[in-house]
Amino acid sequence: MVNVFLEWGTRRSYRNAFYAALAVLLILLPYVMPNNYWLRIYSMTGVYVMLALGLNIVAGFAGLLDLSYVAFFGIGAYVFALVSSTQFDIHLPFLLALPAAAFITMGFGLALGSTSIRLSGDYLAIVTLAFAQIFKLLLLNLDQPINITGGVNGIFGFDPIVLFGFRIVSPVAYSYLIWIAAILAIVASWRLKRSRFGRGWEAIREDELAAEALGVSTTWMKLKAFAGGAFVAGATGAVFASFQDSVFPNNFDFPQLVIVYCMVILGGLGNIPGVILGAILLTVLPEFLREYGAYRMMSYGLILVVLMALRPQGLLGSVRFLVKGKRRPDKDETGMLRASTDLYYTGEPGTDDARPSYAAGNRVVLELQGITMNFGGLTAVQDLDIRLREHEILSIIGPNGAGKSTVFNMISGIYPPTKGTISYEGREINGLRPHQVARAGIARTFQNLRLFTKMTVLDNAKVARFCRTRAGVMSTLFHLPRFRREEAETENRVREVLSLFGARLTGYRFDQEAQFLSYANRRRLEIARAIATDARVLMLDEPSAGMNPQETLEITDFIKRLRDVHGYTILLIEHKLNLVKSISDRVIALDYGRKIAEGDYQEVAGNERVIEAYLGRKKAKTAASPPGEGTEKT
Amino acid sequence: MRPGPFGLVPRPAAILIPSRPDSMDVLYQLPQQLVNGLTLGGVYALIAIGYTMVYGILFMLNFAHGEIYMIGGFAGWWVLHLLSSGNRLLMNAALVIALMIIGAMAVSGLVGVLSERFAYRPLRRAPRMNVLLSALGVSIFLQNLVLHFQGAKPRFFHVSALIPQDLRVIEVGGVVFSFMRGLVITVCFLLMGILTYVVKRTKMGKAMRATAQDIEAANFMGIDTDRIIVFVFLIGSALGGAAGTLVGMLFTQVDYYVGFQAGIKGFTAAVLGGIGNIFGAMLGGLILGLLEALATSFFPSAYKDVVAFTVLIVVLVFKPSGLMGERIREKV
Repeated sequence: MVNVFLEWGTRRSYRNAFYAALAVLLILLPYVMPNNYWLRIYSMTGVYVMLALGLNIVAGFAGLLDLSYVAFFGIGAYVFALVSSTQFDIHLPFLLALPAAAFITMGFGLALGSTSIRLSGDYLAIVTLAFAQIFKLLLLNLDQPINITGGVNGIFGFDPIVLFGFRIVSPVAYSYLIWIAAILAIVASWRLKRSRFGRGWEAIREDELAAEALGVSTTWMKLKAFAGGAFVAGATGAVFASFQDSVFPNNFDFPQLVIVYCMVILGGLGNIPGVILGAILLTVLPEFLREYGAYRMMSYGLILVVLMALRPQGLLGSVRFLVKGKRRPDKDETGMLRASTDLYYTGEPGTDDARPSYAAGNRVVLELQGITMNFGGLTAVQDLDIRLREHEILSIIGPNGAGKSTVFNMISGIYPPTKGTISYEGREINGLRPHQVARAGIARTFQNLRLFTKMTVLDNAKVARFCRTRAGVMSTLFHLPRFRREEAETENRVREVLSLFGARLTGYRFDQEAQFLSYANRRRLEIARAIATDARVLMLDEPSAGMNPQETLEITDFIKRLRDVHGYTILLIEHKLNLVKSISDRVIALDYGRKIAEGDYQEVAGNERVIEAYLGRKKAKTAASPPGEGTEKT
Repeated sequence: MRPGPFGLVPRPAAILIPSRPDSMDVLYQLPQQLVNGLTLGGVYALIAIGYTMVYGILFMLNFAHGEIYMIGGFAGWWVLHLLSSGNRLLMNAALVIALMIIGAMAVSGLVGVLSERFAYRPLRRAPRMNVLLSALGVSIFLQNLVLHFQGAKPRFFHVSALIPQDLRVIEVGGVVFSFMRGLVITVCFLLMGILTYVVKRTKMGKAMRATAQDIEAANFMGIDTDRIIVFVFLIGSALGGAAGTLVGMLFTQVDYYVGFQAGIKGFTAAVLGGIGNIFGAMLGGLILGLLEALATSFFPSAYKDVVAFTVLIVVLVFKPSGLMGERIREKV
């Protein structure tokens, strides 16, 4: 409180004042409630805030359509009911029963998640829905032959909660307990969101494949979200059971799930203040509509439909208060658009000293031996050998459909090759998942741009640091030294990488969403992301596609500098032969999935079969005429 | 009990008479359960078609489809109610049955088309979760709309007058089943046959298949894809409505909450067969129905749904694309 007055006027002091006001409000609120009925609603609001925040981890952060969430809520409640009642005559103290409920629920979450998490979107929804149905049927029917769940009648009459010598029985005490738990959930949500986990989840939600290729272990992360949601749901279930002093199957039925989903959607998926607001609104507002019965649920449905059409991002979806970064970072304080630097290429982006110090070496870094890829009956790549040497720029050229991108996809682990081996630094890497390939040190860009369009430039690059950081959930939740150190490192490294591109990606652009970048800048950001993984081998898939001649020149120069100055080994797919000509140490030409020529540019460009492949059989006299900009679609 | 002659314990006479087998006699029950399974399966298939057709084109799960089925049930009830006084029909029974089914199909089809127009079309380009939630909204809205106007109590179908006197029970090769089961099976397969013809043989069907493969390309080729989508909702919802009325006649009641369970079952069937594939949906429906019927022979009937959902989970985990679905590989 002293701080508030000492530092008045600073940003920090406002924040402290806000917290202080919030604390006072939370202490006072239970006493302002007109009667016990409203006090009860106040407490239920806290329960729903927790519940919605838990769902927000799964559905909001990670974008998983988890319809078993309400079953997890139920598992938590029933576990609590079983271990602190006369049902089995087990009477655990609350401080044991609560974690028991949370962890057992998380166990169920892990079990269900590990079988079904690989299923994409809708299928996951179905499996989880089926699980929720099974759970409810078991609740209803497991009163025979031995009475476990109490059937329709549920279980009631639990041990009173005793916390540090205080018996929590009065409604006011409960409201404090519940809201303290809710605030813990809020803080935990914030901390998760602003960490490698939050960024990893957001990346998965936006583009799972790109996230995986940048080193995010998507399966594991999704499982973590699933388990995290289950954990919160389980803990909330225990608190809820104790508060209600009973559990019934109906508490954990589908309509309940719908309500929680509505809260999360109403607030905006992933938006923490929004979700809290959604939970509060949807718990309190219906109380005023209670007398209208069916109209209440009807309006629920209508609100959902109208909201999805009008504000699909939720009430607070794009209201960015409490969110880092300005809404239009490309405008200055007066509202004027800042000048774009794109038009003035000076030839020397970045400030690092530009002395070339690397050239192609002899040591083979990446080796493909007898690689074949069959898609059903179609052979995209056949019996291909490629040797990539250290600090080399090797270009792969070939007409559309020659199998160039397929080669990239095989190296990066997206398609396992049908036959053959790929080894990197002497270690076989075929069979590795894409994120493991990225972690091993091979990063790629995508021909058809797979940026996380709704994330900022900075966050896009930070996702790539995921595979270089290790902070666990505990470290993140409690902001332990490791977390702080890694966050600082991430920030520095990402800024360093982005500054390679000069003003293109730095300054106000740090906080700009990737979707607002120009096309050329998006290509640059793709490359920046790949570099930020700390890879030593970069695979660039048509880095100049869609760029104008000026920009092409710049990116050519940039790629060359990546090798000359920074020592990257580069594997390049490119259609613009001028670019290939000016930077490649060697060129490989593919046609119909086979290597038809290999050597330096002149050799390959003069090769009969290459000319034939590009121009057809007749009248192939001029060798180096570029085939023009292809917009190959794989 | 005192031992009788030859030291044998006298047995109760009932054992000696070939009698009704007890409920554990699975083999005896098998044909009977097959008929039950076929009835349920046909109904599930009809519901599943609605899910699968919409999914095939829009990649959305129409959560409200169960409510459309329920509304079909109510529509059928109203037709029956208006065409009869007490237990007496005002016209020919066959005609009433036909009108019930047609009425249900019309009302459900209309509701389906309306929901497409107002809840889904504005979201054509929105993220999929939004569409799903919009569908959830429609579902809640329709359910409570019916609750408001029809009340929470079930409506009973007075079907006795619909059943021809000499056909109360039908016996085929030792298997006894009621007229209604026969009717349900016949109508289900008839409708599926018509649908198959429409999809495979007509110009509209060709346009539907093209739209399902690639909606943009179909658009460029001059197909009015919006119209196709409306048509798909119309057909899917009409079939769902027919299923609602058929089940209403079979179990003689309908209430505002039946849509949820039926929806989940139809949905399960669609996924089981491979969502997006119409024939997969038919197959999935039949398999699910048979499975449930058989499950009641082995487990307490309260667990038949548990069996159905467990099978669903297992199928999805091991063959995520369903029995007849193709795995869609993401292009990189």
